[in-house]
Amino acid sequence: MTMLRKIYFGFSFLMVFCLSSLAMAEELTARQVVEAFQDQLIDVMRQGKELGFKGRYDKLDAAVKKSHDLPKIARIVVGKQWEELTPEQQAKLEEVFSELSVSAYAHNFKEFSGESFSFVSEEETGRGGVVVHTNLKIPGEKDVKFDYMMKKKDDSWQIINIIADGVSDLALKRSDYTSVLNREGFDKLIAKINEKIESYAKQ
Amino acid sequence: MYGFNMGLDKYLLKPVADGYKFITPNFMQTGVTNFFNNLKGINVVLNDLLQGKFEQSASDLGRFTTNSTIGLLGLFDVATDLGLQQNVEDFGQTLAVWGVNQGPYLVLPVLGPTTLRDGGGIVLDKAANPGSYVPGTGIIEGINERANAEGALNFIDEAALDPYVFTRESFLQYRNNLINDGKTDADTFDLDIDEAMEDDGQMASASKKKIKTGSDPVDTQDKLASETLKTENATVEAFDSMSKSFDDALLEFEQASAKMDTISEKRRYKRRR
Repeated sequence: MTMLRKIYFGFSFLMVFCLSSLAMAEELTARQVVEAFQDQLIDVMRQGKELGFKGRYDKLDAAVKKSHDLPKIARIVVGKQWEELTPEQQAKLEEVFSELSVSAYAHNFKEFSGESFSFVSEEETGRGGVVVHTNLKIPGEKDVKFDYMMKKKDDSWQIINIIADGVSDLALKRSDYTSVLNREGFDKLIAKINEKIESYAKQ
Repeated sequence: MYGFNMGLDKYLLKPVADGYKFITPNFMQTGVTNFFNNLKGINVVLNDLLQGKFEQSASDLGRFTTNSTIGLLGLFDVATDLGLQQNVEDFGQTLAVWGVNQGPYLVLPVLGPTTLRDGGGIVLDKAANPGSYVPGTGIIEGINERANAEGALNFIDEAALDPYVFTRESFLQYRNNLINDGKTDADTFDLDIDEAMEDDGQMASASKKKIKTGSDPVDTQDKLASETLKTENATVEAFDSMSKSFDDALLEFEQASAKMDTISEKRRYKRRR
């Protein structure tokens, strides 16, 4: 009995050790996070038609949530108003915003015509962030520059902003959302986001 | 004005552009686009020089001559295949490089979003474009441009919660990117985020200060706080009234177009009878 117990303990130690080393190995660099996400995007595009919107959404859901700091992005896009929202409203905003972000990806990356991402360069910003510069090559069209602003969160790098050909997604959303919030209030903002989610799912 | 343009687009420009896309074969659309792009080539070379980009001006001049000759007056874009990438330069960008301020954001009838600086630039651009001196080409160019913008306009339609603000923001950022030729400083990436985070930070530190300082300086701090709140409210109000007037204009336009619809429907009804 004692012998068995010893073996059992030995095994459990081994297991814990293995798992922790696995966890260590999983700590990716900013570039690896971006590239892993882009690979998943291209993968979904390749199967885009067979998958349909629902299929693409399900495949991208985990990928987007893992690589993007959606709660923080949701917070930034409403600006100062965040502090004035009740905790329930904040939670609601985070929820619908996540759904919108995944839906937008599932809608915009729906088919494949030879696109590919390529890494260009990487640079550190003054405040501990990293910008990963990449190019989206579309056959027969001009390259689109995709720059990813990355921040570290709990020891892993996460996307906080995407700048496509110089147009910052975060800045754009921020003006868009705060304008609706200031003029029409929180409920209307949520209603409008839900409208967008619905129209993305339709096509 | 934004509402007017959107209405005009919905009822006139989009149907015309859709019709154009429907009746013309794809290769012809590409040809027409190439042709007008090539006409802008002279303008691009001119502005390269005015901005002191001599190397780029040589490449763009090569582009223009190649496409005008081998490319049959610009109908075929041979130069891109030869590795001479198309550059986008215009007088608006040159004025920016020369240090002219952007000025207010404007939405012009038909022409759409621009700034005061770019608006001045457009006049010079037209003057430097040979196409402007041949009557009728402007209409074909316009239809073609609208057809090419289909994707971008659909994207705005799909993504924007407030299309007016979305268009303004993306236009200004897009122009800035062209002015800087796509070069960005890593620290500018921080700006967006920092702005938001600093807001948080200030709030947090302000509340901390209050706890630390206790009773007497609180009054002055409260005054300060209320003053900043007031100014904020004023800007918010100004913005509100501005956007309201835009809404009103849009509403009026919608009503007008609804009337038009009913009138045309009546007419159809009469004709059938």
